[in-house]
Amino acid sequence: MNKTTENIIAGFSWLSTILLLGAIISITGYLCIKGYSVLDFRLIFGDTKVFDALLLRKQVFNGLFPAIAGTLVLVITSVVWAIPVGIATGIYLAEYANTAVKGIFNLLFDILAGIPSIVIGLFGFALAVFLHKHVSQAIKPCLLISSIALAFLVLPYIIRTTQVALEGLPEDIRLSALALGATKLQNIAFVLLPKSLSGIMSGVILAIGRCAEDTAVIMLTGVVATAGIPRSLLSAYEALPFHIYFVSSQYTTPEELQTGYGASIILLAICVVLFSIAFFIKRRLTYMAFYRT
Amino acid sequence: MNTGEQGNIKIKVNNLTFSYRGRQILSDISERFEEYAVTAIIGPSGVGKSTFLMTLNRLWENIPEAHMSGKVEIKFDGRFTDIYDRSFLPSNLRRLVGTVFQKPNPLPMSIFRNIAFPLKLSGVRNKSIIAFKVEEALKRAYLWEEVKDRLSQNALALSGGQQQRLCIARSLVLEPEVLLLDEPTSSLDEKAAEVIEELILHLKERITILVVSHYLDQVKRIADRVVQFSGGGIKPFAAAME
Repeated sequence: MNKTTENIIAGFSWLSTILLLGAIISITGYLCIKGYSVLDFRLIFGDTKVFDALLLRKQVFNGLFPAIAGTLVLVITSVVWAIPVGIATGIYLAEYANTAVKGIFNLLFDILAGIPSIVIGLFGFALAVFLHKHVSQAIKPCLLISSIALAFLVLPYIIRTTQVALEGLPEDIRLSALALGATKLQNIAFVLLPKSLSGIMSGVILAIGRCAEDTAVIMLTGVVATAGIPRSLLSAYEALPFHIYFVSSQYTTPEELQTGYGASIILLAICVVLFSIAFFIKRRLTYMAFYRT
Repeated sequence: MNTGEQGNIKIKVNNLTFSYRGRQILSDISERFEEYAVTAIIGPSGVGKSTFLMTLNRLWENIPEAHMSGKVEIKFDGRFTDIYDRSFLPSNLRRLVGTVFQKPNPLPMSIFRNIAFPLKLSGVRNKSIIAFKVEEALKRAYLWEEVKDRLSQNALALSGGQQQRLCIARSLVLEPEVLLLDEPTSSLDEKAAEVIEELILHLKERITILVVSHYLDQVKRIADRVVQFSGGGIKPFAAAME
């Protein structure tokens, strides 16, 4: 490769990075400028007193609190379904599956990853209808159905990142515990998984982000404009991404649209908090696996 | 040093053939290895020396698309045992046949936990027994004096030579009867290599050692016997020296 080509590639890489950073700063900056002025307790709790709302003594009717709570419960429930199944499948593909099985499963998960979220939402809706007809009439589109559908949506990320993280471990690490008399399961549990935690957590973080932002899936599976705090997994619920969509498509005054910007900032903040928790858990698990004395 | 068979036999290999992805790497190897001796395995790169070691601890079974035929017997408790017998678990075998790799591979944990790790895997829970065995292993690997005051320090902070001795200590903590060393000094400087050589000579009093080495000078210093690998088989050492 000659010097000019090298310079062009390096220049293009720099330019792409700068453009990306610029886009991120512009979007968050725009959101902050537009939404900053409405960010207050009133936006979140409306006319209800903060403690009354937090202690669930009174319903919040004109604030984002139910949508914030709904989003948090939705994201946590979805990743609770998706993480064990995703990591276990990733382990199976990386450590147990033979080449032929691996090829078939990889293709299937790639297809799953490429399915539009509205189709996953439709699947969730069909599941709700099926359960309503054949299991219990109490089951309708609800938080549980939404979380299962979202889990399907994010499963491929967790599976693939787990598989890639495990397969990417160098041979000396892979064999070190086995050579010391570890069984295959001990090797996976005590060495391979802790060593792959960074890669696995990047999949989990991606999954959290996707669960927090997806609107198409939840629109068909249980989210509503007004539902209050979800009382159980079988209730309808409110969620921030749907609120943002609803406000931006139905607003009647500029002030109403501003609450959408405020909600966007809160949604970003929730993602940051969840990412931080995921990062903290990763550090804690790594410490417990390796560095605890 | 000699090139013939001598003393008590510890390992018997019969008609061993090994292939990886359809390519034959070892072909019909039959060999005997003496007890409490250092046998050096030499030969050019890619002739299957490391692969051969992997057939003695069944580590190759973790490599996809690898196949082996033949028989390997190791004497445990005075009796030869077919290590590929279905009733003989690979994890049990690897506690009796320790392995040290070319590149030091301590786990990213403290020095103490690195050495205690194999004990934990084999179900030892008593803390005082673990502490005693860790100290013994570090002493046998000539590392105790250098690390006794910083056992809780991360093992990755040690020098290359210290890390390799740590890996030897980690194998020794299980009190193996055979130790397989795959080019244990190739990534170390001359001084660190000398310490490892001295350690090998000391260990052979209680352990049967097979060491893969590329350095003929080193082989002359440490080996009681030499096996030359060439073209997937074994050829007499005298010919190799020429």
